Amino acid sequence: MVRSLWSAASGMIAQQNNVDTIANNLANVNTVGYKTEVAEFKSLLYQNIQSKTTSANGADKPVSAQVGLGVRNSSVTSIFDQGTFQDSSSDTAFAIDGSGFFAVKGEDGSTYYTRNGNFVLAQGTNGLTLSTTDGLPVLDSTGKTITFPSTISSGSLTVSGDGTFNYPDAKGNAASLGITIGTFQFTNPSGLEKTDSSLYKVTAASGTAMNETTSTNLKKSTINQGYLEGSNVQVADEMVNLIVAQRAYEMNSKAIQASDEMMQQANQLRG
Amino acid sequence: MVKGLYTAYTGMLNEQNRMDTLTNNLANSATIGFKKEGSTSQSFSSLLVEKIKDTSESPNVGRIIGTSTPGVKIGENYTDYSQGSFQSTGNTYDMALSGDGFYTVDFTNKSGVTSEKYTRDGSFIVNDAGYLVTKDGDFVMGDDGSGNLTKIKLDPTKEASIDQTGAISQNDAKVAQLKITDFEDYNYLEHYGENYYQTVDGATEKTANAKVFSGYLEASNVQVVSEMVDMISITRAYESNQKVLKAYDDTLSIAVNQLGKV
Repeated sequence: MVRSLWSAASGMIAQQNNVDTIANNLANVNTVGYKTEVAEFKSLLYQNIQSKTTSANGADKPVSAQVGLGVRNSSVTSIFDQGTFQDSSSDTAFAIDGSGFFAVKGEDGSTYYTRNGNFVLAQGTNGLTLSTTDGLPVLDSTGKTITFPSTISSGSLTVSGDGTFNYPDAKGNAASLGITIGTFQFTNPSGLEKTDSSLYKVTAASGTAMNETTSTNLKKSTINQGYLEGSNVQVADEMVNLIVAQRAYEMNSKAIQASDEMMQQANQLRG
Repeated sequence: MVKGLYTAYTGMLNEQNRMDTLTNNLANSATIGFKKEGSTSQSFSSLLVEKIKDTSESPNVGRIIGTSTPGVKIGENYTDYSQGSFQSTGNTYDMALSGDGFYTVDFTNKSGVTSEKYTRDGSFIVNDAGYLVTKDGDFVMGDDGSGNLTKIKLDPTKEASIDQTGAISQNDAKVAQLKITDFEDYNYLEHYGENYYQTVDGATEKTANAKVFSGYLEASNVQVVSEMVDMISITRAYESNQKVLKAYDDTLSIAVNQLGKV
């Protein structure tokens, strides 16, 4: 009896986590570069309740009667599918087509990765620095911050598909500035640690960042200037998941009620 | 008199066990690859009932008048291995099995002992070293071509595709083959937990006919409506047994408290 109570409680907790994940996806449906997440579950351990069991015709069965003890949240996995491209009027808005990530330098000095390419040019003592809207500098393919002389006109900066910055020379032809936006890939992007502001951090599970310019065998991503990558949250999917999660939660609460009533009846035996 | 008291008690106990099994199904109604479980009830072996001290019978000895069964116990807990529905995820390494068979997983427990486990949960990823693993990091096993189990190592920098036979290809070249195992008799499979099954002595493997569908996951095959109906029947059966027990108690109470009064 107490088994069924706790099994049902584990089911309610798991579904609560599921709803949390779905709600976070829905909250981030308009977040640039957001990747949708799914909660997954695994059954808990099994317990033997009777060692000798027989089949319908009376023959002994090779396994004992086992009962499972509920469910647990096994993982919350990000799905790194491509999001939709949204037109942006900013010249420093970039969308990655492929599996690469932009690198930015965090306030703590370590490198973070993001799919959010909504950058700005920040005025500093050295010139204009390409940075995120939070002011974190974006890194180039060699791991350095991207800085332009303050004399340049930001509207004339163009970026080619491989991420190289071009600026019109004296004749008005686009000439490479020799700076390329860094894009990095991971063996297991699901292993990246999510931090705030759409930033990801490298972990042992994700593997080290592989630089797309130096790792020759990687399938290179394409940078699209003037576009932002929308979130890949599918609202209809999330709503269906929400229905499933809510109903599963409800059913588990019914199981708790039923177990409770059964205990009550057992309790009434001794009037 | 007291015999019936214990019969009703075994009835309540059995309904509790059925409730435990049912609750586990409900708790796992959203677990990938979960197979619904059920419990059958079996009566205790019947006992001969003998008449004693009946003066109406000419020789004053006992006579067998029939049999009675003094209660109920679990017959078996079975698993319904029928196909679950598919849900689309679009991830290459999410794989659903259609048909009979299990993925083979190399599971290492906390004391470092490695054993083969079997699962229908095909939500896999490629880890940092390039191996195909479950979400818990257990290695998914492949077939090296000569029937031996081998870990599946992929080149994470390349796109992979998985066909229905479980062959994993990168750059149009086959790099690995998933090991799908099936068994002659599922009665020799035991639940381990963690969505895994393990074999017991006597299990015989056979060639699996399952097809692999990459980009899908197999949802649990728990039928919510039938579980709720079962829940009603279990709680009511429990209640009926409780009423019987109570009736015995009331009868005993009369015997103890009222018969002795003058």
